[in-house]
Amino acid sequence: MNLLTATTRYYLLLTTGLFVLASALLYAGLPQVLRHETDEQLLSERLTLQRRVARGQPLPTDLLFAYQLGRSRQPRRLGYSDTLLLDEREQELVPFRQLTFRLDAGRGPEWLTLRQSLVERHDLRRVLLEVLLGALGLLLLGVVGLNRWVARRLWRPFEHTLARLRSYDLHQHRPLGLPRPPITQFAELNHALNQLSERLVADYESLRQFTENASHETQTPLAIIQAQLEQLLQAPTLAADEATLTLVGELLKTTRRLSRLHQSLTLLSRLENQQFAPAEAVPVHLEQVLRDRLDLLGPLLEARDLHLTLDVEPGLPPHLLHPGLADSLVQNLLQNAIKHNHPGGILAVALSKAALEVSNTGPAIAGDPNRFFERFRKHNAASDSPGLGLSIVQHICSYYGFRVRYDYVAGTSWHTLRVEFTT
Amino acid sequence: MKVLLVEDEAALRQAVTESLRQTGYVVEVAASFGQAQEKIALYRYDCVLLDLTLPDGDGLDLLRELKLDNSPAGVLVLTARDGLDDRIKGLDLGADDYLVKPFHLSELNARLRAIIRRRQFQGQHHLVFRDLLVWPEQNEVLVRGESLTLTRKEYDLLLYFLANPGRVLTKEAIAEHLCGDQVDAADSLDFIYTHLKNLRKKLQERGADNYIRTLYGVGYKLSSE
Repeated sequence: MNLLTATTRYYLLLTTGLFVLASALLYAGLPQVLRHETDEQLLSERLTLQRRVARGQPLPTDLLFAYQLGRSRQPRRLGYSDTLLLDEREQELVPFRQLTFRLDAGRGPEWLTLRQSLVERHDLRRVLLEVLLGALGLLLLGVVGLNRWVARRLWRPFEHTLARLRSYDLHQHRPLGLPRPPITQFAELNHALNQLSERLVADYESLRQFTENASHETQTPLAIIQAQLEQLLQAPTLAADEATLTLVGELLKTTRRLSRLHQSLTLLSRLENQQFAPAEAVPVHLEQVLRDRLDLLGPLLEARDLHLTLDVEPGLPPHLLHPGLADSLVQNLLQNAIKHNHPGGILAVALSKAALEVSNTGPAIAGDPNRFFERFRKHNAASDSPGLGLSIVQHICSYYGFRVRYDYVAGTSWHTLRVEFTT
Repeated sequence: MKVLLVEDEAALRQAVTESLRQTGYVVEVAASFGQAQEKIALYRYDCVLLDLTLPDGDGLDLLRELKLDNSPAGVLVLTARDGLDDRIKGLDLGADDYLVKPFHLSELNARLRAIIRRRQFQGQHHLVFRDLLVWPEQNEVLVRGESLTLTRKEYDLLLYFLANPGRVLTKEAIAEHLCGDQVDAADSLDFIYTHLKNLRKKLQERGADNYIRTLYGVGYKLSSE
C-alpha cells in the first residue's frame, strides 16, 4: 500500500471516529443542557412570583403572551413537565416546558403554570448534523490535501534516493554519492546509504586486489617449485634410484595440481566479482573455438576410442565474448564429456543459433543434477581432478546471461549439457 | 644458440638457466629491466625469454623496444599474470609466443626451439639425432635415409622429445603439450601411453630401437645411447 494512502487512511479513521463520538455526545447532551437551563429559568420566575405575592403585590396581568402563564383554581399536577402547544402562525404543535406550583395569594389557593418554549428537537438535531458534517467534510479534504502536498514536497528527497538506488549498478563499483536533504531523517538515510555503498566499493576493491595478487604472486613460487623439481628429476643420481624418482615425480604432479586448482578458483572468483572488463570481449566464432579444442583433444578421443560427431549450423554469427572465457567454456564442456564417457562411447557436439549442446554416453550419475554444478563436486572421489569444471561452465554462462541445462535419458545413457545463448 | 633470460626471481632464473644450458643453449641472464635493456642494446640474441613483471619496469616496454629496433631476436614471454588477460596483449605487440607460469621446462625448450627455427633458418634447418634426420619445415622424418610416416600427434611428440634430448619428460608435460595446457592431465594420461607405443613401434620397425625410455611412474626420456 502506498505510504500516503496508509497515513491518510489512519487520519480519516481517527477524524471520522472523533466526529461520530462528538456528534453522539452533542446529540444526547445538548437537549439535556437546554432543558436544565429552562428549568432553572422557570424556577427563578416562580420565586419572583412568590416573592411578589409575599410582599402583597398582585400577580401580573399584563403578560405579553398568554401561554407564558396559566392560572387555574382547580388543582393541577405539581412540578416540571413537557407539553405541546399550538403555534398559531406555523399551525403546528411546539414543545414547551412548564412548571406548575401552588400559590395562595389570600383569595384561596391557585395553581400557576409557568411555560417556556423549548427549541424543537428535530431542528436542533438537523442543525447539529449539518454543522458537524460540514466541518468533517472540510477536515477530510484538508487532511487529504495536506498529505498530498506533504508527499510532493517533503518526500521528494526520499523519492530521489529511491530512484538513485533503483538505478544503482553494483558492478560499476562507484559510491552512491547521495545529497544531504534538509530533513534529518532523509539526511540520515542518505548518509547511511552512502556509507554502505562506500563500504561495498572498498570491499570490492580489496577483493579485487586479493584475487589479482593471489593469481599473480602465488604463481611465481609455484613456478619456482615446479622448475626446480623438474631440474631435480634430471639429476643423474636419480636414474638409478627409482623410489626417489617416483617421489619427485609425484611432487611435481601435485605442484601442477595445486597450480591448476589455484587458477580455477581465481577464475571463479573473478567471474563472481565481474572482473572481466566488457571491453575485452571480441567477436568470437564458437565454431572455430570448438574445432581448435577438438583438434587438441583428438588424441584423448582416440585413446578412449570415442566416436565424435560435430554438427554446426552454417553461417552462424559470432558471439561477443572474452576469448579466454569462450575457450574455457568449450574446453570444460568437452573435457567433462570425455571424462564421464565410457570407452567406445559417443561424444556429440551440436552448435546452433540458439544453443551449444555437448552430449555423451556414460554411466548414470547418482545425486541431484542441480548439484553437479557445485564446486568440488566429484563423480569419482578417487579422481585427481578437483571437480571445478562444471562450476566454471555455470559461472561463465551466468556471466554472459546464458542458461545451462543438464539432461539425462536413462534408456540410452545419454547425458546432455545445453548452453542456451538467448536469455 | 644464444638466449637472454630476463627474470627477476633468482631461484627460477637459476633453474631455467641450468635447464637451457643442459639442452645446449648459451644463456645470459638479466635480473632487472635495466640490465635487460643494457644487454639488448649491446649484444645479439637468437631469442629473449621475457618475464613481464620486473621490479623496475614493465616487460612489455622491453618488447616494444626490441620491435622498434627491428631486433632479429625472437621473444618468448613468460608471465605470471593471469593468462586470461595478458596473453593476447603480449602477442599483439609482437612476441612470438607466451608461456604462463608455472610452466614445464620441457615445454619451454620446445617453444624456444620452435621460435628459433621459425626465425632464423627459414626452412634450411634440419635436426639430427642419432640415426634420425628431421626436416621440420617439410614435416619429414628419415631414419637412416628411409622416410618414416607418422601421424601428426606422433610427429609432434617426436619433435617434443627432440627439443629435450636426454631430459626426463613427465607424462603431464607431454599431455599438456599435445592436448593444450588446459587439459586436465589427471584424467587424460592413458592416451600418452597409446601414442608412445605407436611411435616406438614405428621407430623400431626402421631399426631405431630403444630411443625412448620409460621411467616408470614418472615419464619418458629420449636416450642418446
